[in-house]
Amino acid sequence: MTPKPVLLKILDYLSIVLLAVATYLALVYAPTEAVMGDVQRVFYFHIGTAWVGLLGFVFAAGLGIAYLVTKDMKWDIVEVAAVEISVVFFFITIVLGSVWARPAWNTWWTWDPRLTTAAVTELIYVAYFMLRAGIDDPERRARFGAVYALLGGLSAPLTFMAIRLFRSIHPVVIGAANENQDKMNMTGDMRVAFFFALFTFTVIFIDMFWNRIRLGQLQDKVEQLKLKVM
Amino acid sequence: MPTTSHPSFIHATLAVVRKDLTAEFRSRELLSAMLVFSLLVILIFNFALELNVKERQSVTAGVLWTTFAFAGTLGLNRSMAVEKDRGCLDGLLLAPVDRAAIYFGKVISNLAFMFMVEAFVLPIYAALYNVNLFHPGLLLVILLGSIGYTTVGTLLASMTVQARTRDVLLPILLFPVAIPVLLSAVKASTGFLNGADMAEIWPPLNLLIVYDLIFTAVAFMVFDNVVEE
Amino acid sequence: MESTPDTSQYLILGYAVFFIVSAIYLVSLYVRNRSLQRDLETLEGLDAEK
Repeated sequence: MTPKPVLLKILDYLSIVLLAVATYLALVYAPTEAVMGDVQRVFYFHIGTAWVGLLGFVFAAGLGIAYLVTKDMKWDIVEVAAVEISVVFFFITIVLGSVWARPAWNTWWTWDPRLTTAAVTELIYVAYFMLRAGIDDPERRARFGAVYALLGGLSAPLTFMAIRLFRSIHPVVIGAANENQDKMNMTGDMRVAFFFALFTFTVIFIDMFWNRIRLGQLQDKVEQLKLKVM
Repeated sequence: MPTTSHPSFIHATLAVVRKDLTAEFRSRELLSAMLVFSLLVILIFNFALELNVKERQSVTAGVLWTTFAFAGTLGLNRSMAVEKDRGCLDGLLLAPVDRAAIYFGKVISNLAFMFMVEAFVLPIYAALYNVNLFHPGLLLVILLGSIGYTTVGTLLASMTVQARTRDVLLPILLFPVAIPVLLSAVKASTGFLNGADMAEIWPPLNLLIVYDLIFTAVAFMVFDNVVEE
Repeated sequence: MESTPDTSQYLILGYAVFFIVSAIYLVSLYVRNRSLQRDLETLEGLDAEK
């Protein structure tokens, strides 16, 4: 296994530092929001992880296409990395959304389009791993995974639109509260925390992505060697 | 005039459809399973939901589409499993036919089974709950929804039939991806049944059409990757 | 005049979830990496013997 590139080591440290700073900004630097109180601070990481999650899933769909076109296993390795990281971060997104909803609207869950789409999308990518787990042949696994990553990626925005159609018919207090949320006016300090969080999570994404790809490459090497030796 | 034994795309597709339909009419295993299952689902909903006259209006479309979705999954699973078990899939693949013809043939026969179930369920539901379901708009939604569902379902079923966790895996893969179809279909169906304005019905109907177009196109591009042995 | 509600409990819950889940994932990466490294060494040993 090739030793960790220096650049990646630097990225590892950078990610940790950035995360520390982002946490400080979110927890201390940003002012407490007047209406919801301290819990609003989860918003910075909620959006940060959502951004990472979406990035990964969109990537995965593209990587799926890349694999189907080239049939080169490296795209499969990268695709699995993208989906896995996104699944983890999107899970955090959903839980943070729920934690935020509870004190704000007195419910652990809101059926608003974004959170519901997030849940459905998360299910798609968990299903992705279940599909892969059920197939033993690596080449077929890669092909099917690519097809499903593509189908999943395409369906997610359509899911969002479909759920939004439903909202218009249901008169829900939560919906009204969500409108307020959309128009949340951020002060300058909040904006700093917000954009810094986005930046931090992008760096974290790249760092984890690279690390996970290396793991995938190691796994591939081990599997090849297994076939050769046994 | 080229003398090739390659059947045209249409011929090949129709041959696949004919094979599936005749095989089914001889054994009637698949269809009877789907029909009985649908009845059971409707029965369960009767106990699970308060289907009094007022509630029915808002809930009918949901009950119908849930029934179609579950029965559809049953049909998809069995239709592909039968192929795999009898080794027909290999035989089909050896034929000098564009794989896409096989895929579209399967979609059409799966669609035919789904339509048969729907044709069976609609009058029964209408009779049991005294609801008029023979609205052309509703039938249009059922057509479009079934097309979207079956297109993606056939593609996914082709994959899951080759996995170890076969039967259980199809609904897990299909339902999340089919949510736009199911939600739009329910919304549009409710609109038609309750006599809503076209302005209200058009957005979900539009989404349904968009979904069908996108996924038919994608399935066409991707099918090759899913049935290669 | 409305006072800002004290929702700090949820704040702690939220950030705890974030750090715990992240930590679990990082540990999982580390453990998988180590186990694969060991497999690799074993296999390379077997390969060399051939």
